[in-house]
Formats: sequence, C-alpha cells, structure tokens
Amino acid sequence: MKYKLIITLAGSLWAIAWTQMVSADTLHIVITNVSSSDGTVMVQVLNSQAQFEGEGQVAAFAEQAVSGEMRFQAANLPPGEYAFRVMHDENNNGKLDSNFVGMPKEPWAFSNNAMGNFGPAKWQDAKFTLAGETTQTIQLN
Amino acid sequence: MNRRKFAKMALASGLASQLPQANATAPQQTDSWAAQFKRAQTEHPWLLAYRNVQQPAFAAQAKLLGKWPTELRGTLYRNGPAQHEVHGYRYHHWFDGDGMLQAYHINDDGIRHHARLIATHKVLAEQDAGRALYPGFASAPPNPAAVTSPDAVNVANISVLPHHNKLLALWEAGSPWEMDPETLQTNGTYAFSEDTSGVPFSAHPRVEADGTLWNFGYVSAAKIFVLWHINAKGKLVKIGKIPCDPITMVHDFVVTQNHIVMLVPPFHYAPGAATNTFLDAHQWRPDDATRVLVVDKNDFSNFYWLELPAQWVFHFGNGWEDEAGVIRFDAARAEDPMAMIHAFREVMRGNIVPASASHHYQYRIDTKKRTISEIPLFHNRLDSEFPCVDPRISCQRNDKLTFLSSHQDRPAVHGLLNEVSTFDFRSGKRDSYRYPDQIMPEEHLFIPAPGSQPETAGWILGSALDWQAKMHKLFVFDAQRVSDGPLAEAHLPYALPFGLHGKFQAA
Repeated sequence: MKYKLIITLAGSLWAIAWTQMVSADTLHIVITNVSSSDGTVMVQVLNSQAQFEGEGQVAAFAEQAVSGEMRFQAANLPPGEYAFRVMHDENNNGKLDSNFVGMPKEPWAFSNNAMGNFGPAKWQDAKFTLAGETTQTIQLN
Repeated sequence: MNRRKFAKMALASGLASQLPQANATAPQQTDSWAAQFKRAQTEHPWLLAYRNVQQPAFAAQAKLLGKWPTELRGTLYRNGPAQHEVHGYRYHHWFDGDGMLQAYHINDDGIRHHARLIATHKVLAEQDAGRALYPGFASAPPNPAAVTSPDAVNVANISVLPHHNKLLALWEAGSPWEMDPETLQTNGTYAFSEDTSGVPFSAHPRVEADGTLWNFGYVSAAKIFVLWHINAKGKLVKIGKIPCDPITMVHDFVVTQNHIVMLVPPFHYAPGAATNTFLDAHQWRPDDATRVLVVDKNDFSNFYWLELPAQWVFHFGNGWEDEAGVIRFDAARAEDPMAMIHAFREVMRGNIVPASASHHYQYRIDTKKRTISEIPLFHNRLDSEFPCVDPRISCQRNDKLTFLSSHQDRPAVHGLLNEVSTFDFRSGKRDSYRYPDQIMPEEHLFIPAPGSQPETAGWILGSALDWQAKMHKLFVFDAQRVSDGPLAEAHLPYALPFGLHGKFQAA
C-alpha cells in the first residue's frame, strides 16, 4: 500500500512534470544591433492578432539597454502562435518617439524581423509557432 | 510599456515601411539590362544621356564662347539621377539613379563647374556592401536589404534649393539633404524641426519673393499629404496633414496669394502582395477623375476638393489669384503617366518606347463658386515641359512663362524636347529657339537682370548634353529675344548624365 502510494505519487509528479514539458515552452529572444546603452529596451510578447493590434499582451519586459546584443526569455508559454515587438526607448521617456507623420525616430523591430510590404507589418508577417524551445534573433532597425 | 504605446509603435513602424520590402529569399536575377543598354548605345548614341556616371566627382573650368552677360553672376545648382549602375546592377528606371549635385559658378573669372555624387545613406551602405542593396522607385535588385525608413532609400536626385543660407538637395518621399555649397559634400539629412525629422519634403517647394517657403509631402501608406509652411529664416511656421484616399505620388503643386492647389491624378496607390517596387504599387485608372485639392494657405484644416478629367502632371509653371478670388495656373499636362511607367523605365535598357507627351494647359479655379476649368495654351502638336517664371513673381501674377518645348513636325533625333520657349500671356505670342539635334536641353530657368522690373530684362539659362561632342554645355539667352539663339555658351570637358532640376542663386 505504501509502495503503491509512492508509485502513484511519483507517477503523478512525473505526469505533472511531463505535462509542463509538453505544454509550457520557452521563447528566447535575442536582440542584436542595440545601438547604445542609453535608455531602455522593451519587449512585448503577443499571442493573437487582437493583441498585435493593441489589445493586451502575454508578457512584457523592460531592461536597461546594453549596447550590442541583449537576451530576453519568456518561459512557461503554452504552445501556439506568437509574435513580439521590440523598441529601444533611448531617451527613457516611456514611448517610441515618432515624427509628425508617425515614422519612428527610435529603434524598433518585430519578430521574424517582419517589415511589412507597402504598409504596416502585420500579424501574419510577425507571427511564428512556439513549439519547444524557440529562439528568435531580431535586429533592431 | 503599455498597450497604447505599443499600438502607436506598430502604427509608426508601419509607416516607416511604406517603401517596398522585397523578399529576402528571392532567387538571384539574371539581369541583362546593363548589356542591353550598352548595345543600344551604338544604334542610338544620344542614349549617352542615360549612361552611368563615370566618376563620383567632376571639376573643370568651362571653355567660354560668345559674350557672357557681365551682370549675370552667381551659381546655377543642378541635381539629377546620375549613378545608374551599382556594382554591375543597372537600375530599371531613370528616376532610380542616385543623385549628383552640380554647381556652375559664374563669376568674373569665367565659369567653374563642379559635381559630386550625393553621399546618401543608400550610396554609403551600397559602397560598404559592394552591391546594390535596396529596392527603389522601380528597381528591385536581387536579395535586397530591409528598408527601415524612406530615408534609407532616399536618392536625393530631383532638385536643389538654396534657402536660409543652406543648400538642400531634394527627393520627394523623404528628408532634404544638407549640402556644402562650396565643396558639394553631403552633411546629412536636414530637419526643419525635431518633430518633422524624416517627414517627406517634396522637390518642388514654392518660394515667394520674400523667402516664404511652401511645400508638400506624401505618405502613401498613411494616405496623407503633408503641407509645410517655412519662413525666410528656415523656421517652421506650421505643418499640416490632409487625408487622401486613394492617394498617389504627386510631384509638384501650386501656391497662390491665398491658396495651395494640388492635382491628384487617378494613379492609385494600391500595393498588392506581389508588388515589389513603389511604381508598381500604383494603378492607372483613366476612368476616374483627377481630384483637385484646394487648401487655405493660412489654415491647412480648411480645404475642399474639385474634379478634372484623368490626366497626369509633373510640373506647374506658376499660380496666382486675382481680387475676385479666381486662381489661374499652368501645367505641362499629359493624358496619362505612361512616360514614367514605360518610357523612363525601358530607356534604361536602351528600348525607345513612345509615350504620351505633355501639352501646356491653363487652369482656372473660381474659389467663390468652387468650380474649375482647363484650356490648352497652344496647339496640340507643341509638346512642353519644365515651365518656370521669374522667381520674383513666384505665387503672384505672371504674364510670362519659360519652358522647354518640341514641335511634333520638327522632332529631334533623340525624340525629346529640343526648343527653349518663352510665352507672353498678354500678347499670346510664343518665342522659341530650336537646338540642333545633337543638343539635348535640360531645364532652362529665367534669371532676372539685377535691378530690373519683374518679367522684363533677364536671361534664360540652361544646360544641355551635346551627345555628339560628348560634353555638357551651358547656354544663355536674352529672355526677351530667345529666337535670336544663345548669347553665349560654356563647354565642359565631359558629359554628365541627363539631369532634372536646378535653382540659380545670384551672387
């Protein structure tokens, strides 16, 4: 009886661990071309077109900028489709500075290094499938 | 970081990518354009006009012929596409050429010419990379790099503007470039204010006699026109946005005493998934109207729209308004943009394609009744382009016009414009001089004689390519007697690629 309990418990733990392995993945984000160590690099992880268009987010990070390369990690994400966007808030004013017609004046990037074709980068351009450990290396523009 | 900020960021970065992004995994193109062009030059030697520039810089003292007017002192600055090939890749459109700034310094010692390729971000990046990197107006080199902003592909190749002690080289979909007026070296992109850095500033600003500057820009992805108002000291007075859907590329506009007028031809910006150049993102819809935007100069939020039949206009001469509120302006009007869509593309591989020529029209807008009409100024066998007026009456009443023309009964072997014309609206008389066939004239400007009354004494000053002698030449005419032929010439010891627009700065 005692053994059976132990086996059952062990099995349950295994099952829990196994479940976590198959259903919670980690997204590694490598950001290159960080032009300076001034300000903050911000990352927002999204899992739907609605989020991509501004309705909520899965995770967000903000770190002091480090010139060159920076790494972020979003763990325990259920498998599925994701996208993320990055901005380098060089002057730490809390926003991506843009000019009179909305063109950005600070560095930015999307997952897949998506740029869009004759218009804004779309969810379709930036989305990717998260399955297991996934690394996206993105160059700031 | 919040939702709103990121939404703004997404919007912003979308606008930045209004220019084409070709697929980075596209297969290598086998491109025969450079070889085709070279072959065609033997049959059509005047194609020298579209040859790749041979050097990144030129300098020479010109050889003078005839009697140069002693009062004509100053510098003619000119710009135009010049570098047509990058590391073996020949551009697929005349308008894709990287800009070269030129200066003809006219002084007591003669005429010194100087030219230098404009060191845009694109030129520098492609020099570093050792290959053509970016998709352009109508060219899509293989394996392109990502275009992160319009200024990444800004070729600074349309015109030049001396203003508030600055010399600016102009494109139309991005920033102006600040140039050193003496060395012609590139100082970088120029911004009139922090908030307007990178906002499109077109190549045909209108400058009033007192130095007040008006300009526009278009942001195709955002479907807006931008209007600029800058004072004589270069300070931004105001800037506005006007929505326009569908939008198109617009090259020039009209400013009067009270209004700004823009013609928006039905060449609709409608990029598809497979579109990979900016030109190909547009569709000509001849059954749609040309929309005419009329804006209150003093209040950019006050505007209305009128309609004309489908037509294509690159250039306007001048616009003005009488006391009854009637606007008049003139334009070189073509039936369609096929010259740009086909002829200026095909010529880059040596194919000579006929295209609809432009004819000069006068337009009349009654701002009280909000009506518009148009009439041809000349018979329909007279082609016209590059209209201009005495800069002292810019945006005010003009009675005269200077332009290039060509009579279809007397075409040149090169098929392009071959005459310089002046026209007097009051007498209805046109005066003209036909260049010999080896001369391909570029834009000619009216230069006022110092101290004269507007539209009286002055000169017509213009450059040209002599494709037989393989040299560039500068010609000057008495503005009141163009048909007498040039008063004097200046010959350079080299040929430059055919250019676009210039401005004269008096000494």
